[in-house]
Amino acid sequence: MAWRNIWRNKMRSIVIILSVAIGLFAGIAVLALYNGMLKGRVRTVIDAEVAHIQIHDTSFKKDYDPAYVILKGDVIMKALRSMPQVKAFSARSITQGMLVTTTGSAGVQINGVQPLEEYEVSGLKKKIIEGDGFTPGKKNEILIGRKLADKMKLKIGSKLVLTFTDSTADIVSAAFRVAGIYRSNNAPLDERNVYVEKETLNELLSIRNQVHEIAVLLYRDEDLNAVQQQLQKEFPSYQVETWRQISPETDLMVNTVDVYSYIIMIIIMFALAFGIINTMLMAILERTREIGMMTALGMKRYRLFFLVLLETIFLTLCGTPIGLATSWLAINYFNKNGLDLSGMGKELMSSFGYSPIIYPEFPSDKIIIVLLIVIITAVVSCLFPALKALRLQPVEALRR
Amino acid sequence: MDTVIDAHNISKIYNPGTIPVYAVNNVHLHLQKGEFTALVGPSGSGKTTLLNLIGGLDKTDTGNIFINGIDITKLSAGKLIDFRLHNIGFVFQSFNLIPVLTAKENVEFIMQLQGIKKSEREKRIYPLFKQIGLEDKMNSRPSQLSGGQQQRIAVARALASKPQFVLADEPTANLDSKSASNLLDIMALLNREENMTFIFSTHDQRVIERARRVITLVDGKAVSDTAVVDTGVLHEIEK
Repeated sequence: MAWRNIWRNKMRSIVIILSVAIGLFAGIAVLALYNGMLKGRVRTVIDAEVAHIQIHDTSFKKDYDPAYVILKGDVIMKALRSMPQVKAFSARSITQGMLVTTTGSAGVQINGVQPLEEYEVSGLKKKIIEGDGFTPGKKNEILIGRKLADKMKLKIGSKLVLTFTDSTADIVSAAFRVAGIYRSNNAPLDERNVYVEKETLNELLSIRNQVHEIAVLLYRDEDLNAVQQQLQKEFPSYQVETWRQISPETDLMVNTVDVYSYIIMIIIMFALAFGIINTMLMAILERTREIGMMTALGMKRYRLFFLVLLETIFLTLCGTPIGLATSWLAINYFNKNGLDLSGMGKELMSSFGYSPIIYPEFPSDKIIIVLLIVIITAVVSCLFPALKALRLQPVEALRR
Repeated sequence: MDTVIDAHNISKIYNPGTIPVYAVNNVHLHLQKGEFTALVGPSGSGKTTLLNLIGGLDKTDTGNIFINGIDITKLSAGKLIDFRLHNIGFVFQSFNLIPVLTAKENVEFIMQLQGIKKSEREKRIYPLFKQIGLEDKMNSRPSQLSGGQQQRIAVARALASKPQFVLADEPTANLDSKSASNLLDIMALLNREENMTFIFSTHDQRVIERARRVITLVDGKAVSDTAVVDTGVLHEIEK
């Protein structure tokens, strides 16, 4: 009977069913979009920024003093080569310095890298948008970010001077020529990081073939904690950090994005609940006499409540498959083709470290919770109309 | 004969705090099993209110109503619903069938409320439809039936629960004369053959003529109570 009741007023039911479908679509789309954005951001953090794990001397990150090199660098790298979970690693020498040109100066982090290692770990080669990158055999070449290049009016072949302190606290300056301009999804990092060959930088820092940082890329994200623990155990005097510790803001987002998504979903469903309440109230008011008749005949209150509850649940659940199917189709389409949000501000997205192209992911693992939210919405929405129905006195209801 | 309804001093007063209106005023009613009784009187005389009180749909302000020895004025709301379900059949003026259910389902509905098993329900349904002459309309929706047919379905629904008696509030008011006559034939037949007790309110002369007992209400008071003996003559019942 409950099922047939919802089709008494087809138009009204269809409107509310479509509202539920649209609400569900919107909620799932938000979940999928957040999921996609976050996964994209995590991938950028791992594959293009910090890698899975970084190893430093315990004092190095306090003020980036180049004196704090990883003394056992060779031993660590040998251990990394023997670990099956490790895909690649890049040993970097790092210092903070000043980049000076004829038009101005900027504070930068100078990363001394071995190009092939770095290309594999951070995908630096893929990010180069101008120039060819490091040329083998050529010294004093530098790769700079697009944003820094624009700010300092630098082009391919432009000359600049890097000034920094070496490992003995003496000030060192050296001239470099721009061999490439790169652009990543993180504009602030592009503005701050420049890359030179490790050999060149080590010579200037007077640290021979030693390094300050070893960035480790794994095959599988799942191995992160196990590898970190193993490395920390083997090299307890070094700081072995995962990307979660290096980029806590990303970790925070990973841990809180679900909560935010559910809050948005609940807000959408809460708004929708008023539509359902209105529809059910109208349905109850239209059937006052019939409800009076049913209670007069002997229909118990709990049965009447159950009838209203079932009608509300049916009405709500009718829209659910439509919402699920349309969101699944749309999300899968954009998951394959990408959702280009450049129109919203490419620079803005990039300044927060996000790619302007999002690949939303259908939140299959959260569908049970989404359905629970929908059912709770239906149950909550039915309460007021059901109470209204329960309060009807048969004599008065039959008179109407 | 078994007493089905025994009501003493029952009154229903509206606006008791301001200007009291006696819808039912100190009425005594005694009904035996198998009676075919009409409550008559002008509009506003209290017929429907009295039926509602007897049917446990409304609360009395004074007096007691015993049905099969149970004082229904003392029952809680929940127990009263249960009592109605198992003891009283209702036929309403405007049929009040559930439009989304078929005729069969409408009749079955009350048995479902009683918790009767499917097999037992099926057993009871066909004979009921045969009695009301609508066995070919079992799968029709109320909207596909005439007013007379709908009211016959309502009678079948009232009987499906095997009640102690059937209360019918102006059952022929919305029917044409042929349909009304058909309905009365069925009710009279059920009364004769099944010994089913009927009490109905009406101001339809055709119904009054078919009744075997007529109680007249004026301003909430029972002013006369007459019985028809087999000669067809109305006789005043001695009080």
